[in-house]
Amino acid sequence: MTHESLPPRPARKERLWTWMLVPGTAWMSVFFVSALLLLIALSFGTTDALGNPRFGSTLDNVIGVFTPTYLRVIIRSLTYAVAASVICLVIAYPVAYAIARHGGRYKNALVALLVVPFFANYLVRMYGWQTLLSDESMLMTWLRHLGVSASFHILDTGAAVIGGLVYGYVVFMILPIYASLERMDGALIEAGRDLYGSSLRTFFTVTVPASRAGAYAGLALVFLPAMGDFISSQLLGGPDNLMVGNLIQEKFFAGQNWPLGAALTMALMVLLLICMFAYLRQTARDAKEARR
Amino acid sequence: MRTPDVSRRRFLLGSAGVAALLAVPSCAYMTPKAQQATTKPVEPKIDGDLVYFNWADYVDPSVFEGFQNEYGVKVIQSNFDSMESMQAKLAAGNQYDIIFPSAQWVQKLVVANQLHTIDPSTLKNAPLIFDHYAYFADPWYDAKSAHSIPFSMYKTGIAWRKDKLGETLTGGWSDLWNETSKGRTFVLDDRDEVLGMLSLLLGYELNTAGDRELGNIVDRFRSLRPYLRGFSSDDYNNLLSGDAWMHQTWSGDMAALLWQAEDASIYGFEAPSQGTPINSDTYAIPINARHPGTALLFIDYMLRPENVEKNINYIGYPMPVHGTEGAYQEIVADYPECTVTVADLARGLYFSNDSVAKTQARDAAYTEMKVGL
Repeated sequence: MTHESLPPRPARKERLWTWMLVPGTAWMSVFFVSALLLLIALSFGTTDALGNPRFGSTLDNVIGVFTPTYLRVIIRSLTYAVAASVICLVIAYPVAYAIARHGGRYKNALVALLVVPFFANYLVRMYGWQTLLSDESMLMTWLRHLGVSASFHILDTGAAVIGGLVYGYVVFMILPIYASLERMDGALIEAGRDLYGSSLRTFFTVTVPASRAGAYAGLALVFLPAMGDFISSQLLGGPDNLMVGNLIQEKFFAGQNWPLGAALTMALMVLLLICMFAYLRQTARDAKEARR
Repeated sequence: MRTPDVSRRRFLLGSAGVAALLAVPSCAYMTPKAQQATTKPVEPKIDGDLVYFNWADYVDPSVFEGFQNEYGVKVIQSNFDSMESMQAKLAAGNQYDIIFPSAQWVQKLVVANQLHTIDPSTLKNAPLIFDHYAYFADPWYDAKSAHSIPFSMYKTGIAWRKDKLGETLTGGWSDLWNETSKGRTFVLDDRDEVLGMLSLLLGYELNTAGDRELGNIVDRFRSLRPYLRGFSSDDYNNLLSGDAWMHQTWSGDMAALLWQAEDASIYGFEAPSQGTPINSDTYAIPINARHPGTALLFIDYMLRPENVEKNINYIGYPMPVHGTEGAYQEIVADYPECTVTVADLARGLYFSNDSVAKTQARDAAYTEMKVGL
């Protein structure tokens, strides 16, 4: 059926849909947009003797973001977030594939099993990892018995921070990939085989393109929160693993410099917006190709 | 579906600031109303339930019970997790009858006219403090203790694992540069403590904010970095878990360490010879308290030696109340250097307040040290 043959929608129905946007828009403008505007305004502000923020018009905070100290931490956060996203993809794809293609009647139960651990708060789970990985924990004692050197430790390293991010967000990668693979018609793979494609070739020419949108969505869902995370680095990281989220948190709390914290937050958001824009363009391009 | 949660999490983690802004109504940005510099002293009389605001677990619950039974009022408790968040709540206009600011914060609050005047002569038990700890009669943070009553005292030193590093260290801050402890040494995640430790080591004034001094502090810290496992204020847990063999530590946390350790004899505590920062927490009544009279009676009740002893045994901090010193000595019998003496107080190694510009210069130096360039 082509677009032209559709009957025109009654105007009244259109208006109803428009009205249904009102509660959401109101909620977002009060609690999100206005807070965001406050934050933008505050990044030009100053601080009084009690540490209370005051609105102002200084550029010091914005300029302050562009010092080597902060740039270094921002680059480190980018590296960690990219590494975590890639590792999540490598872990999530086979898991999603196995459940979607071979899960059979246990599919839903398997997905539920993946999701259940995430009912516990992220912070609590990170404390769990901290206990598990600490130097005199059962795990480390056991590793030393197996001959690992006594000076070896996992806690307070970059690997532990990236591991924490992967553990924290991997489910957001599995679910969209699972959804796209689950939606895929199994007959497509059979067709690929009927056309004498090897299983590997069929996988790369049929399955991967079909699940690409899910993988992109997963990458965005993991990368964005990982970039701003501070809990993993705070609980599992050492002195060389500080992320930009930690700096922002510190400026708002112990540092009592909300304006600088606000400026750092803005910098992070601009960076994330650029990534988000790239993601949206890529998915739009893919969608266009798929229609062709 | 979990997707809405993602955006919420990103919202919280990516911009802790947005959350903080939401929590504090806009009145935080207004100039505080000008108040009379001196208010009339609070009168000790019950004028309602007590709205109490302190660190979590800082008072023995049985002490609260006793107060409620004796005076027939309720204690409504809430907690803060840092002085900064206490200030944020006060600035937001929340009303509390009694708060427990550190000395540094008393000074800030007094300057901003945020505290009620307290006349020590209205407190039956005040002589137990002021007749024996003359220092508190006119402390640097509050002239003549006119707005605050001292609650507890603590100092910052070094705790270490005797079984790993030996029975004694050299007794100075340079002990943190210990080869054996390399990779297992922690400093407190606290700007003033870390800058203060290096100032003492380099012979500077404790609260220095000079460009040259801060530059040297950052340089000196660079040599400590390879030894460090982390910045953390969770000192006793890091020692208990075995991750730390050496830790810049608050003396008050030693009691918690001793109480929880399987074998307390493997830990030591030293107060370095270059000096140890001293700090004290206080009782104070915010200017907008609705029941200042009850609060004053509560302070007096808390100062009764039997209650002070209960609290010492509950939180493990020494308190400047005559007759209770023995209770603390008993707890730290094996760590005599934890004790805060009158001589320690007189040495004047306090973290003080400075102009916003100087505070921010110190903060920038600390950030540089934490990030490590």
